[in-house]
Amino acid sequence: MKKSVQSTIVLVTICAVMAILLALTNSVAAPIIKQNQDAAANEALLVVMPDGEGFEKVDISSYELPATVTEVYKEAKGGYVVTLTTAGYGSGFVIMCGVAADGTVTGAVCLASTETLGYEKTYGESFAGKDAAGVEAIDTISGATKTTSAYKNAVKDALNTAIILGGGSVDLRDEAQILNDNLSAALPAGEGKFTKLFIAEVIEGIDAVYTADNGKGYVFVIGEEFIPVDENGSTDNATVKTAYDILVASVVEDIDLTAYGDALKYITAAKKTASGNYILEAKGNGYGIMGGDDYHPASGEYIIVRVSMTPDGKIIDTFTVSQAESEGIGDACADEKFYGQFDGKTESDYKDIDAIGGATLTTNGYLKAIERAFDALKILEGGSN
Amino acid sequence: MKNNNLSILLKGIIKENPVFVLILGTCPSLATTNNVAGALGMGLAALVVLICSNVLISLLRKIIPDSVRIPCYIVIIAGFVTIVEMIVHAYFPALYDMLGVYLALITVNCIILGRAEMFAGKNSVGKSALDGIGMGLGFTVALVLMATIREVLGNASFAGNPIALLEPYKIEFLVKAPGGMLVYGLLIALVYVITRGKAPLKKSFSCAGCPNAGSCQTACTSAQAPESEKGDAQ
Amino acid sequence: MEMFKSLIIILLSSVLVNNYVLARFLGICPFLGVSKKLDQATGMGIAVTAVMLLATAVTWPIQYYLLDKTGLGYLQTIVFILVIAALVQMVELLLKKFSPSLHKGLGVYLPLITTNCAVLGVAINNITDGYTFLESMVSSLGVGLGFLLAMVLFSGLRSRIDETNIPRPFRGLAVTLIAASFISLAFMGFAGIVDALFA
Repeated sequence: MKKSVQSTIVLVTICAVMAILLALTNSVAAPIIKQNQDAAANEALLVVMPDGEGFEKVDISSYELPATVTEVYKEAKGGYVVTLTTAGYGSGFVIMCGVAADGTVTGAVCLASTETLGYEKTYGESFAGKDAAGVEAIDTISGATKTTSAYKNAVKDALNTAIILGGGSVDLRDEAQILNDNLSAALPAGEGKFTKLFIAEVIEGIDAVYTADNGKGYVFVIGEEFIPVDENGSTDNATVKTAYDILVASVVEDIDLTAYGDALKYITAAKKTASGNYILEAKGNGYGIMGGDDYHPASGEYIIVRVSMTPDGKIIDTFTVSQAESEGIGDACADEKFYGQFDGKTESDYKDIDAIGGATLTTNGYLKAIERAFDALKILEGGSN
Repeated sequence: MKNNNLSILLKGIIKENPVFVLILGTCPSLATTNNVAGALGMGLAALVVLICSNVLISLLRKIIPDSVRIPCYIVIIAGFVTIVEMIVHAYFPALYDMLGVYLALITVNCIILGRAEMFAGKNSVGKSALDGIGMGLGFTVALVLMATIREVLGNASFAGNPIALLEPYKIEFLVKAPGGMLVYGLLIALVYVITRGKAPLKKSFSCAGCPNAGSCQTACTSAQAPESEKGDAQ
Repeated sequence: MEMFKSLIIILLSSVLVNNYVLARFLGICPFLGVSKKLDQATGMGIAVTAVMLLATAVTWPIQYYLLDKTGLGYLQTIVFILVIAALVQMVELLLKKFSPSLHKGLGVYLPLITTNCAVLGVAINNITDGYTFLESMVSSLGVGLGFLLAMVLFSGLRSRIDETNIPRPFRGLAVTLIAASFISLAFMGFAGIVDALFA
């Protein structure tokens, strides 16, 4: 019995002594180990923030950050290094961006990508030292719009992330979301689904009209104002009421194109309203017909543009019906930002618009379609006289 | 007396080389010898642990009761292994990454427990230290030798420096698992030829170095070739 | 389903691809020492598998609920090896008391297991790989079965080697290692199979 007690004591003592020895060594070694590990982890971060120090990973789960953000490190002097995964020409486009405490970009690099042209390798350099306005001012590269605009948006997201983590707030909604939120606020019955109405009547003082997809009413936009009209057509705004009545009373009638033979061969459809306005759909030969190279093969498709105009040749509304221009470049012609420019233009000044960056053939094709619509208008007006 | 001490030191390196003659510590001998740097690091780490544990166990040999000696040895060895592990992690992070779990597994390296049981538990501090140095050096030399063969022929490099001349002729499987076993087997045969069988070569794997040899007679005796003589340390 | 799949992958890869004995060199000593006869090899393999499962079941909670909570992670090696040694001792005592016949069959292998680096290796690797408790248990089972498989395969080979006239310098361990090298070479063929199974 005495022997086993003695054995136990010896064993326990040895364990205790070794544990103390280990604790001593650990107190010396642990800080160095941590420093080494930090240094190894920081090496990558230093690429985008050369004078950064003391990086620490931020738990981002409790913040509402741009969806592209995957990882954030906070730097001792108040800067952030943000890793973002976005999609450019292909998916899996990973960008790391450093943001200094004063909100300027310290550097941006692409960590992984499947982009085709290689612009992502050097594009990040242009952001170094820029603040939010400076980043906004950097041009995307023609011919690599998707890659470079995804890159630019990622850098903007990184800047926003730094603001949010620094305690500020940022509107993370994109334009389409903001518009939809405004429309929904004006007409909750629309359940968040609206479509822009193509207008063929002259309605004074109205910028745009949206119709609820479920038929529960309309929203009229006047400047920054969103004015709802319910399904029974009642509203308190006089301007809107007038415009609404005009739209509801509008009657359209198909024009038989065969009667005109080859003269209207570029017009695919034509309608006339009771008020005398025309709705014309015209073909334009853009990149799909005229262009084509290794990266962006020609599709063989025309751009089809729908235009409504008054009998005296003033454009009321424009809409891109179909197009198969190259993805990420010419397909910007289907964006309202582009075709919205034609509203209110006449034959003398319709070419006076901002062309699509890097897509001269598309822009020219589009303008050709509008020109053909004007030509058709003259024939149709002449014919009816 | 001096001669005796020298022989204690030298026997570990040649006559009782733990790897090629006593066939102990086979796991790290195979696992860490696909490059010279890792092998050298492993050998030196084991050397340090071996010296420290030999000295401490020898110091405590009269205090530790026989019945709990194995757990005591294990605790002491595991303690020193962890200390070495932390130091390597702190000051040689590249080596730490290379050796990985094998560094912690020095704890169960039969050489260390074997020397504790066979030598340090019975001899004076000075002799135990010499024995630790000798065995540790023997282990290191054997590891580096194996690693040199495997890395030069298998990867056409030495300690990470490429040898352009051998590049087209490298035998890649030597740096992989089967290559380790093959080289080890061939080296054991070579050592037998060089010593002409005079070294106390075990005819087969034996438990002479295993601290549990006493409690597993069945497994051991049947595993030993009939003509095997008892290890001189037993 | 996803979890089941990952468990199967862990099991198969630790039995075949990352076989501890043949690919990672853990547990070589008993592999070479106790693989002369089929019944011994099987007994050792089963005993090792059982101890691995037990050791993982004990060391995993110790690591996560004791060492990590108290910041004593650096005591991992020392605690694990003590746990394994104590477990082996306990299993032996229990077997002796409650099942003398099983003890007669397996008991002799148990003391050897304390210093089997595969047991400590699997306990530490389960922590390093960040496995959950369930994954750790499956991985231990796989490693144990892989060890058993290697032992059984090799014992068949060795009985043939012993009947052959081998040149003097190669007798004993040298030829054994060279034979093991060929089995290991065969196992290299499994690399990539497990991932491809579910790809």
